[in-house]
Amino acid sequence: MVGISFIRVFKAASQNFWRNIWLSVATTVIMTMTLLIVLFLFFANVFGLEVLHNVEQKVDLSVTFTDSASEEQVAALTREIESRSDVKGVEVVTSEQALAIFRQRNQDKPFIEESLAELEENPLPASMFIVATEPRFYQAMAGDLANERYAAVIAEVNFEDSRAVIDRLMTIILAIKNVGLVVTVIFVVLVVLIMFNTVRLAIYSFREEIDIMHLVGASRWFIRGPFVLESILVALLAVAVASAIAYPALKAASPELQRFFFESHADSTSFDIYQYAVDRWFTILGLQVVLAAGLAIFSSLIAVQRYLKN
Amino acid sequence: MIVFSHISKAYADGCPALDDVSLKIQTGDFVSIVGQSGAGKSTMLKLISAEERPTAGSIVIDGWNVAKIKRWQIPHLRRQIGVVYQDFKLLPKRTTLENVAFAMEVGGAASREISETVPHILKLVNLQEKAAAYPNELSGGEKQRVAIARALAYKPQILLADEPTGNLDALHSWDIVQLLIKINKLGTTVLLATHNDDVVNALKKRVITLNQGKVVSDQKGGTYKL
Repeated sequence: MVGISFIRVFKAASQNFWRNIWLSVATTVIMTMTLLIVLFLFFANVFGLEVLHNVEQKVDLSVTFTDSASEEQVAALTREIESRSDVKGVEVVTSEQALAIFRQRNQDKPFIEESLAELEENPLPASMFIVATEPRFYQAMAGDLANERYAAVIAEVNFEDSRAVIDRLMTIILAIKNVGLVVTVIFVVLVVLIMFNTVRLAIYSFREEIDIMHLVGASRWFIRGPFVLESILVALLAVAVASAIAYPALKAASPELQRFFFESHADSTSFDIYQYAVDRWFTILGLQVVLAAGLAIFSSLIAVQRYLKN
Repeated sequence: MIVFSHISKAYADGCPALDDVSLKIQTGDFVSIVGQSGAGKSTMLKLISAEERPTAGSIVIDGWNVAKIKRWQIPHLRRQIGVVYQDFKLLPKRTTLENVAFAMEVGGAASREISETVPHILKLVNLQEKAAAYPNELSGGEKQRVAIARALAYKPQILLADEPTGNLDALHSWDIVQLLIKINKLGTTVLLATHNDDVVNALKKRVITLNQGKVVSDQKGGTYKL
């Protein structure tokens, strides 16, 4: 009995969907757009926080050695810096290693190779990259290394205060969140209004059937079910379309995003947003279904309550 | 059995449709309800099928107090009461067979039960030949027979007929009345609200006459008198 009723309610819901096909398509499109905006916000937030984390972790302090600095002097300085409590790690890049890295990065530029060949000596100095335990320690560390007693070994201390970059990133992430939330709210309201009117029109086009259903003793579930189920069908379709758009888009954008935000930092671990989405597909899909079906049920129940009184 | 006890019904405009009506209708009775337009005939039928609720009093149908029925109980009540209207209320895009089957579908009957029952009902109302016809291909009398067939889909204990001959000529009207008599003989209680004096006089059954919401006459083997 329940099974038969469900099949018939489902059949009626499908009929509702097809009878007002253009309205159903419009509702699906708006619902899909809403889901895509929410997905964009979610992924932008995850990716932004990863970039932020990466910026915090990147090498902010580098030291260029003088040409006259001996290996012993460099080794002694390395030991001294490594022993500091505010230092997490130290990496020394010899002038040969620096040249190799430089050549690798410019392998598609033949004129660079030609210029290097004309030089008799390696023009790149040896250097040291220092990673602090926390970004706030870099400023003091740079001050210490600029001391006169290191002048024979250190030619230059390169320090870029990353706090300004971090603040700027935070501002961008916050702005995306705020604008995204406003756009989401607008789309949620649109979804509710359009879904409400879709159900209202469906009720109007089925009014004869509904009258007769009442007359012959159809249950409330049998009369109301198709309209609520139709809205859930629209929601599920929107989830499918949104996922079909979002995942290929992430796959296409991920390599470029990684190259732009992560590759320039020598010690960074790259973050693949597509892989992140794939690893959590079930949770992401579930959240989409909850959001879309929740909105659909909410709007259709209001319409049904309003226009299908006994 | 249907028992009306001191039933009154006033609509929102304050106009009383029924005023302190008390009566009993035995199971298997055939009762004609007559009266001028606005006398309260249709209201009486709507109160039985719970389309309207009384302002005062109680209506008991086989143990159900319809006056106090819960909303979720109404579908169960309506599956025991068949209703036929003057304007047929058929679905234009469904065939005769589908119109009758639709009533059973919405009530949750199994497909097998529907396919076995509907041909029997169509035979009862003599519409087997028109099973595949759409309402616009049927005469008024045939449409009303489809409506009656649909009302019978659940083998109701009570059949309410609200001006079923109102849109029909004399020949078709008599055809419908004959069908109602046949259904009544099968054990169904029939309540016929009508303006048709020829039909009421020919029936020689119980006649309840209403005037301005009051029962002014209730006679067995009665005639149409206003």
